Parts: sequence; C-alpha cells; structure tokens
Amino acid sequence: MKNKRFAIVLDTDRCIDCKACTVACKAENNVPLGPDNYRNWVVTGKLRGSYPNLGQSFIPSQCQHCGNAPCEHVCPTKATTTNPDGIVHVDDDKCIGCKYCQTACPYNARYYNEETEAIDKCTFCTQRIYAVPAQLPACVETCPTKVRVFGDLNDPNSEVSLLLAKNPSKVLKPAMGTNPHLFYLD
Amino acid sequence: MKNIWSFFMGTLVLVSKGSKAYYIWVGALLTIAGFGVMGYLHQLNSGLAVTAMKDQVSWGFYISNFTFLVGVAAAAVLLVIPAYIYHWKPIKEIAVLGELLAISAICMCLMFVTVDIGRPDRFWHLIPKVGLLNFPQSLLAWDVVVLNLYLTLNLVIAVYILYETYYKRVPNKSFTTPLLLLSIPAAIAIHTVTAFLYNGLGARPFWNASILAPRFLASAFCAGPAFMIILFLLIRKYTKFKIQDAAIHKVAELIAYAMAVNLFLFGAEVFKEYYTGSVHLAPLKYLLQGLHGYSALVPWIWTALIFNMSAFLIFLIPETRKNHVTLVLGCLMVFTGVYIEKGMGLVVPGFVPDVLHEIYEYTPTGIEIIISMGIWATGLFILTMLLRVAIPILNGDFHVAADGVSSHIGDQMFFIGKRQKEREKEKAESLE
Repeated sequence: MKNKRFAIVLDTDRCIDCKACTVACKAENNVPLGPDNYRNWVVTGKLRGSYPNLGQSFIPSQCQHCGNAPCEHVCPTKATTTNPDGIVHVDDDKCIGCKYCQTACPYNARYYNEETEAIDKCTFCTQRIYAVPAQLPACVETCPTKVRVFGDLNDPNSEVSLLLAKNPSKVLKPAMGTNPHLFYLD
Repeated sequence: MKNIWSFFMGTLVLVSKGSKAYYIWVGALLTIAGFGVMGYLHQLNSGLAVTAMKDQVSWGFYISNFTFLVGVAAAAVLLVIPAYIYHWKPIKEIAVLGELLAISAICMCLMFVTVDIGRPDRFWHLIPKVGLLNFPQSLLAWDVVVLNLYLTLNLVIAVYILYETYYKRVPNKSFTTPLLLLSIPAAIAIHTVTAFLYNGLGARPFWNASILAPRFLASAFCAGPAFMIILFLLIRKYTKFKIQDAAIHKVAELIAYAMAVNLFLFGAEVFKEYYTGSVHLAPLKYLLQGLHGYSALVPWIWTALIFNMSAFLIFLIPETRKNHVTLVLGCLMVFTGVYIEKGMGLVVPGFVPDVLHEIYEYTPTGIEIIISMGIWATGLFILTMLLRVAIPILNGDFHVAADGVSSHIGDQMFFIGKRQKEREKEKAESLE
C-alpha cells in the first residue's frame, strides 16, 4: 500500500450514459436506495447543434481523491484521512455528521448515508483492489465501453501512467488547487 | 461552604417566586421548550431525513440560527469596551447584563450545533485527548474551542461580579480586569472564526470573499445591541433596576455606526459581483432576484434590506433615536433584518446553485422550525433565570444577611405589577 498512488483515467468520448457504473457501485458498496445517494454518477452535457448535426458529451464523476483534499482539512474529528496510497477515506465511527466536508467539497462527491448515519463516498472499492486476487473497482470492471482505467501512478509501466504519458488530459476544477486523481483525457 | 449554600438556596427562592406575568412568561417558555424536546426526540429517532437538508444544501435553518446567535453573543463586547476601557458610568452599571445575554446566546449556539449534527452521540470525538479534535486545521474545531472559551470567560466574570456584589464587596480588579480585557478579543474571535468557517471554502464563491468576516462583525454589532436595548427597556419598566437614558441612547448610536458599515460592506459585495458578472454572481442573483425561476429568498432579503435601511435612518437621527416608540421599532427592524440577512440569507445561497450547478431550493420543515423555536425558548429561559438572580443583586434586594452567612431577600417580585408601582408612588408622595 505504501508505494502506490491510485488513480482513474477516463476517456469520456467513449461514455454512452448507460449508468452501469452507478448501478454497479450501488450494489457493490451498499449505497442506500434513493435519488440522492450516489458515490458516482454521470453528468449529462447539453445537446449541441441542430438536427441532423448533433452532439452530446457525458462526464462520469465521483470523489476525485484529491491530493490536497478540502474535506480532510475541514473535518473536525479527523474522520476523513488520506491513506498513503492516495485514497481519501471516511471513518464511519468518527463521523459526527456535521456535514462540513459536504460544504467544502468542490465536486459534491459526498452524500449523507441515512443507514450508517455518516458521510459516505467513493473508496476506489478498497475491499476489491486489496482482495487476493486483486479485483478492479466495480465501476471500472462493469463499464461496457471501457471509459475508465484504474491503476497505480507510481508504476511508470501501468496502463494509467502510459495513458497519461501519451495523451493530454485534464482534471476537474483545477483552479481549486485540490490536485485531483481522476484524469479526463482530452 | 455554608455561605455558598445559602446563596444557592436564595437563588432558588428567587427563581421560584414572582408576579403572575413572570409565571406566565416562564410557563410559556418551558412549554415551547418541551415541544422542542419532543421534536428533537423525533429527529433522533428518524434521523436528519426529517429536515429539509439534502446533499445539495447540507446546512439549513439550524446553522443559520447558530450563525446569527454567535453575533448576538459577540455583541456583549460593545458594552464591555465603554464600561471597562473608558469607565463610562451609565454603561458600567449594565455591562453585566450584556455578559448574561452572551451566556444565553452561546448556550443557544451550542444547542443549534448539536441538533444539526447527525450523530450527537459521537460528540465526544470533539474532546481533545479523548477523541481526535482536528485542531488547528479544521475551522470547526477552532469554533468549538473559542465558543467554549468565551462561554467560560463570561460565566466566570459575571458570576464573580454578582457574587461579590451579593456580599457587598467590591470585586477585585486585579482579577476582573485581565479577564474583561481578554473577553474583548475573545468576542471578536468567536465571530471571526465563525466567518472563517464559511470563508475558507473555495468551493463556495458566495462565502469565499474576504469581506465576510468584517461583514459578520458589523451585522453582529447591530443585532446584539438591538436586542439589548429592548431588554433594557423591559427591565427598566418592569423591575426596580435603574438604567439611564444616556446608556440606552449611546447603544442606539453605536447601532447606527455598525449598520452604516454593514450596509456599505453589503453594497461593496453586490457591486463586485454584479459589475464583474462572472459565474460567481449566481448565488447573489439567487438571493436578490431569483435564479432560473427559483426565488424563495427574494421577498425575505428585500424585507431585510428595507428594515435595515429604515432602521439605520432611525438610529442616525437623534430625535428618532431618543423617541422610545421609534427606538423600539428600529430595534425590532434591525433584529429581524439581520436575522434574515445573516441567517438564511447567508447560509442558503452558499449552496444554491451547488457546486455541480444544480438547484435544490431549501425551505425548513415543521420539525426544524419546532426544534429551533424550542431552542430559542430554552435560551430565553436561561436568560430569564440569570436576570432573575442578577437584577435583585444589582439593585440591592438580594444580599447577604447581617449574620454574614444566610441570605436576605428584600423583594421577591420580579415583574412589578402596574398597580403595585402606582401604590409605591402614592406611598412615596404621602411620605413627602
């Protein structure tokens, strides 16, 4: 766990807005039912042009596992911490439910879990990636068009490292200075 | 030890005795507080789902009230400065009342924070050493520290001064002066820290403006003193405690200056956002004009602005400031205006539109309103109890008896009935 820095690289041109990632995530991580409970989602872009020349983009989003996470700074009880592998975690038992982290997050990545009565969000499916044998996060594994690639940035030969080396990419809201670890290929 | 016991028993006699109006007032407060407790039990059972707060608007009515009340608490400093720095007698006589108001306001603040959090049973994580208080990184941790410090400071000062007065002793200045001096930066600190709590969030442009902390202080020095003036007028009318006109008019004058600064800072904020016209205008536009058909706050904020501007004129002109009808009207307008402006008017637009540009329009549920009313009633109950003991001490009706141990209560009434007042007058006249 020590020498890893996990990240997801997304090629949004491939996204067809099927929402399989959202469904897989809900099932894998016991995300309660309800219209506001999501660890990940797809933002539907505006329709461009007019018939027959049309275009539309879809942007999957979730916790960006920021290298400089505002949620971690504001948490009064250190319930949110960043692991050495770069994954930002919430410790349910320490969360008092003050919702300050929700207020601080520039990506709306956090939701209030009515069942655990704590703040919840993406964990990169820690339970899967550290399983033996290791599995991919649920959203990555289920995606039918391979929008997402998961891997270790500290390994120069990993698929994520190679993708980022060969292609220009962006992060969401770079002006926030949050140093996100979800990279969107141009 | 026996002394403290008889003092304590004396206070119990005082709070349990009073005129009919006193019983009705206390009974009403306890009833509302009782409804609040029932509402809170319901919220504890069902979780925060009974509130209208959502992931898009994660703070609502509770935190709005909290923010407003921190300002009321901080405003006690407005009495401490003229009383203990400038030694101005008319205000020195009433400075303790300001501290008692601060104590009650901080108690309300702590209650509002408690009802807002989803798991109050995990509150112990905030206690240093036992839990892991994220100090100094989290501004919420700072708020926990400074609010409790300010509460302790005011409790120690007020109780010490009152206890010494009860024993007809002059309070030891080498003990009170350093504490009083410390309470001035502490008052400014509690409100600055509360402003920074919002201010430090880059994700929320509505709060992420460096003008926020000065705005908080300016509006605090409007609402707190407005409440005090009404309190002073009531105390003067219904008890034997004397409060000079000069003190009340001075406080009213201070409100005029504070309101001028408050309105100016708000105007500066409006100019910057509207003239720049960047995407960061959206929350302010939602507040003042409505956004994409959502305009729940618009009538409220314009009411607040009209109230604040009219009150500013009332407090600015000496004639209306000294006329007690317009003075009370002005105080009510300032209190309501600031309550809207830095309560819901400050908290909700921070979330609308949210960071993903979605709009969820927040309106508090009945449960949120009942719980909030319960907390206000509890706060006013605490204030009434504190005043019930403090006022007889200050006007010499409650003091140590001749034996130096047991207590003496001269007058057990709290609210003096009108007739009784007249009778006293007649008595005084016949004696002449």
